[in-house]
Amino acid sequence: MKAIRSLLDRLYEAPALQRYKPIIGAADAILYGTDETTRGAPHVVDNIDIKRYMSFVILALLPAVLASVCFFGFRVIAIIMVSYMAGGAVEVAFAIIRKHDIHEGFLITGLIFPLVLPPTTPLWVVAVGVVFGTMFGKEMFGGTGRNIFNPALVGRLFITIAFPAIMTMNWQKPFVSGPEAITSATPLTTYKSTAKASKVNPDVVEFEKDEANKQVLFTSASAVKRCTQNGDSRFDGVKIYCVGEPAYNKAGKHKRIEDDNLVRLFSYGDLLVGKEPGSMGETCRIVIVLGGIFLMLARVSNWRIPVSYIGTVFVLALVGHRFLPHDIAPPVFQMLTGGLMFGAMFMATDPITSPFTKAGKYCFGISCGVLTVLIRSFTGYVEGVMFSIVIMNAFTPLIDQIVLMFKYRPVKT
Amino acid sequence: MILKKYLGADGYKILKLGITRDHPIFAVGLGICSALAVSNTVANAIAMGAGVTFVLIATAVIISSLRSLIPQRARIITYMITIASFVIIVQMFLDAFSPTISEALGPYVALIITNCIIMGRAEAFYVTNGVRFSVIDAVSNGIAYTYTLVAIAVVREILGFGTLLGFQVTPDGWPKWVVMSMAPGAFFLLGVAIWISKTITEGGSEEEEE
Repeated sequence: MKAIRSLLDRLYEAPALQRYKPIIGAADAILYGTDETTRGAPHVVDNIDIKRYMSFVILALLPAVLASVCFFGFRVIAIIMVSYMAGGAVEVAFAIIRKHDIHEGFLITGLIFPLVLPPTTPLWVVAVGVVFGTMFGKEMFGGTGRNIFNPALVGRLFITIAFPAIMTMNWQKPFVSGPEAITSATPLTTYKSTAKASKVNPDVVEFEKDEANKQVLFTSASAVKRCTQNGDSRFDGVKIYCVGEPAYNKAGKHKRIEDDNLVRLFSYGDLLVGKEPGSMGETCRIVIVLGGIFLMLARVSNWRIPVSYIGTVFVLALVGHRFLPHDIAPPVFQMLTGGLMFGAMFMATDPITSPFTKAGKYCFGISCGVLTVLIRSFTGYVEGVMFSIVIMNAFTPLIDQIVLMFKYRPVKT
Repeated sequence: MILKKYLGADGYKILKLGITRDHPIFAVGLGICSALAVSNTVANAIAMGAGVTFVLIATAVIISSLRSLIPQRARIITYMITIASFVIIVQMFLDAFSPTISEALGPYVALIITNCIIMGRAEAFYVTNGVRFSVIDAVSNGIAYTYTLVAIAVVREILGFGTLLGFQVTPDGWPKWVVMSMAPGAFFLLGVAIWISKTITEGGSEEEEE
């Protein structure tokens, strides 16, 4: 240990390396922590600093990373490395130009960004996205802690708009590799495309593609029962799908998948474990929820935003699905698809870009939820989590301002 | 420095300032709307730049030679009429000789009338200076506007369409950056351009360390 210490001290002194002081400083801080204390009151008796704070988030993300490596193969690691290298280069370049220390915030951005990408994203697109996100999402505003938008989401949005074909058409089925693994449909896409196809019966979302290959998508298990119990001959020899449930037979009982007529569509168990295609880190919802709860228990993130966000989506979907089953997917299905869990647990809770007042946090979460359901249901986009978080990021200062205005009203004299 | 000899010290200074420190887009933020709108391909950018430069020079000649006759109260309407006349000439010229570009530019040719660079220079410079300096200033601002547009258009056309002046320059299978052919791409690039130019001209932290 002493050898490293003296090496670092010598590096600090070396005249040739003055320019690269931020890099040495970062190595020093990672190895030894910091002995800086606050200069003025209030003094906080806790040695948690940004680095420790950030390492908790990394810790919470690790299970999701491991799960995505499991599901999608070692390409995930390559994508994460590209993200760290390209984004890190931007970060270091700015640190040297602006002569400040390397900010640790990048450790999180560089990990979250790849996790919200489809596993088939070409590596150069990953690099473009992370460079754009770091530059325009963060450095332009002055670095960590001064950004308005979540840098990872800015990068993701940019490449989504720049390369729509790459970013929305190529998803990979978990546990499969090679060309047959590529599919164009995530659960949300399937629901959206089939639900729009027909609006005949509120129970039946889609009915028949052509005579030879009939398919039916039911909105719930009870809908299967209602429609098929009274011997409706329309459903003979038809593939029956049911959103979010295991296979059902015509009488509404659980059935094995082998039965030709009965096909399951995205059972909730599969969605929870992550057996369906999606972005790398967002599919295995169970570890994401565990990571999120760990963060809340560690007091790194606040429970108010995720709870109000996911709760709003649930309530809106519950009500909306009753009246507009073709547009709005069922509530549990909404909760377990797309990036909702990941976004609510790790991105909406970003302390920099979300409100700091309690009421503001509820307001932020609820607005995110409303926007997510609206975008998912009524726009051309399939997934609305990243859009809604970025939109609400822009409103964060306003929300805080309004909350403070109401809370600390000047006393009338 | 042949240029300096021809223009004289003052004229040279006007020319230089217009392109660098008083750059209409980077320093003053004028003419941004059209810079965003027509910088999607290089051909459009060149046509637009040439049109604006022509109108600038013509306005400079007219306004500065008539400056003692223009009544103070009616000066804005005088500028408007002068600018509008020349814009119509540009529009008719484009319609007659290159209908494709005219179509691509759409309403933006007519909107040169509202381009703040021309109005701004007329109010700030031509109405108080002689013909000679005014023309130098017009050329300088025209060049500044044109090279900014072309620089942005080169990046946007290569990334967004994979072409340069209509010729394919990228390998087959080049993924088009859709965002670059839309307005947001222009915003990002213009932002970066302004960022760079501010850092250079106003001396950002890079210059301090040297």
